[in-house]
Amino acid sequence: MTRTSSIAAILALALSTAPVAMASDLTVNVEGISQAQGTIMLGLFDEATYSGDGAVAGANLKVDGDRVSVTFDNLAPGEYAVQLYHDVNDDGEMNTNPFGMPTEPFAFSNDAKGRFGPAKWDAAKFSVGADGTSHTITMN
Amino acid sequence: MDLSRRHFLEAGFTVGIAGAAGAGLMPACANEAREMPFWHLGYKTAPRNGFEPAAMRLAYGRAPVDLKGTLYRNGPAQMQYGDQFASHWFDGDGLIHRIGIEDGQAVHKARFVDTKKRREEQAEGAFLAPGFGSLGDERFSVEGPDDVNAANTSVLMVNGELLALWEAGSAFSMDADSLETNGPKTWRDDLKALPFLAHPKVEPDGRVWNLAVGGSRVGIYRIAAGGQLEDFGLVNIGRAAYIHDWTMTARHLIILVQPWINENLRPPVVAGFEWQPQHGLQMLIIDKDDFSNQRWAQAPARMFFHTGSAWEESDGTIKFDVVLYKEPVLGVNGGAAEIRGEWTGEHFAENGILSQVIIPPQGDATIVETDIVGEFPQVDPRFRGEHRNLVALASGSSDQRPGATGLTVHNWTSGASDSFVFGDDRMVEEFLFVPKSGGSTDADAWLIGTVLNLKARTSEVCVFDAARVSDGPVCIWQADYSWPLGFHGTWA
Repeated sequence: MTRTSSIAAILALALSTAPVAMASDLTVNVEGISQAQGTIMLGLFDEATYSGDGAVAGANLKVDGDRVSVTFDNLAPGEYAVQLYHDVNDDGEMNTNPFGMPTEPFAFSNDAKGRFGPAKWDAAKFSVGADGTSHTITMN
Repeated sequence: MDLSRRHFLEAGFTVGIAGAAGAGLMPACANEAREMPFWHLGYKTAPRNGFEPAAMRLAYGRAPVDLKGTLYRNGPAQMQYGDQFASHWFDGDGLIHRIGIEDGQAVHKARFVDTKKRREEQAEGAFLAPGFGSLGDERFSVEGPDDVNAANTSVLMVNGELLALWEAGSAFSMDADSLETNGPKTWRDDLKALPFLAHPKVEPDGRVWNLAVGGSRVGIYRIAAGGQLEDFGLVNIGRAAYIHDWTMTARHLIILVQPWINENLRPPVVAGFEWQPQHGLQMLIIDKDDFSNQRWAQAPARMFFHTGSAWEESDGTIKFDVVLYKEPVLGVNGGAAEIRGEWTGEHFAENGILSQVIIPPQGDATIVETDIVGEFPQVDPRFRGEHRNLVALASGSSDQRPGATGLTVHNWTSGASDSFVFGDDRMVEEFLFVPKSGGSTDADAWLIGTVLNLKARTSEVCVFDAARVSDGPVCIWQADYSWPLGFHGTWA
């Protein structure tokens, strides 16, 4: 028990210090935005947070054309995924129809698609290396 | 009338030989991997690009001089990829037919609705999408109902815009002339991707009412004749009943909550239905001017697909025509085997019966059954929601093949029926009322519909006089080819 706890503590320490030791940048480009208004609400997730409420990082990107872009600094190299929706009417919510289906555009990294739900982690994940990464999502 | 009928049948036989000669009098589906029964022509996949415009030949009779307009029809027309058959007839891609009629000439063309389902399945050469009878391929993404929309059930024309209808997703907007697909129809931004049933109800002045069904919650659309959404509301019907059709009087909407329940709408959808006859056939009657003003009526348990239309007597009694089944049929037992060329007639006895439901101002409803077996009941569009006499339907059944054999017009006022039987060689589809110019009653109408001539192996458009159906067709236009059986149409 003690041994296990010690290993867990060491791992936790290693993970928490990793971003400082090996910081990396990620630029996310969002293209193909159909309406030049509102805000792209973007969340960056790792595997642990992908299906939960919180995100590793996030950005609210004002839309005045057909594309937006954001750079996240000081990320730990590893696997990440993006979930986003276009808050077209800027009400701060992802609007749905009376039966709960989204009425505002949404997308995932790798342009991954869901099947009766959000795209799965394995389909949306991509690697952020030590030298930085650019990832482009195309709305449709 | 026997003389006319014999004359028609003889002429029809001649037409059959002539047509068959042109096509080569070969065994059924000789070019296919295995021999199919003669009637399988009705379930044969249409060409990938549909049908280019082609004049149909006036094969019998004389075309009414006042018959001018367009018959649009929709139906599943992709039933096979290689050796793979669609899991259910209801899951075939919608093929929109346009049959323009003017100066005695009829010209047919058809195009598939360009859906995500069709695009991806055509590219793969395989069925991929989940659906009514299909589990679907895991690779096929589904982010909303329109990703699996087959757009294959009916058509609606609103202010010049042609809509291809399904029931679990959006209507698809089409160009009424070219039949090119514009895309899913959004009536209002907050209603994007909301289902739009394939049986909208059109008032005589052109206002359209329709439902969005999502389990026990039902949305109500009210659309002006000009195409603008005027109102939308939600009601709760208590349980997730299968709702393919409904009915309407001038003052009330009537939602039939049949005891065929599916609380888990996961593919294949048909597998989730449960027949719960203890609930009976319940009907929610909703005031068109105030959706919260509702009352319930109850009838014995029945299953149904299609109503005709409804009206109200002066004391508030509601009457409507509907084809009723004692228990679920087509969705469960049929609709899958036929497209594989398998049909035993096992469910021959489970045909729908033309019936009238009478809902008194208070108390339980009663069901009046006729002795007419049939489907696709239709009424004169001038009398939708109003009192009228006639209902027409594809009628009869065969022990040789699936599908109807004739056309019947029933008069609710006199109790008389008038029928024409084509026989085993022609599969009869839905017939629509087209008012004659200058007429004032629903007997002053033509009935126009499609028939698949299994002998000539061609599709035909037939016209009857609604007042004299047993005289036989007034005229028949025959294509040089056949197209698969469809579901519903509209005249515009």
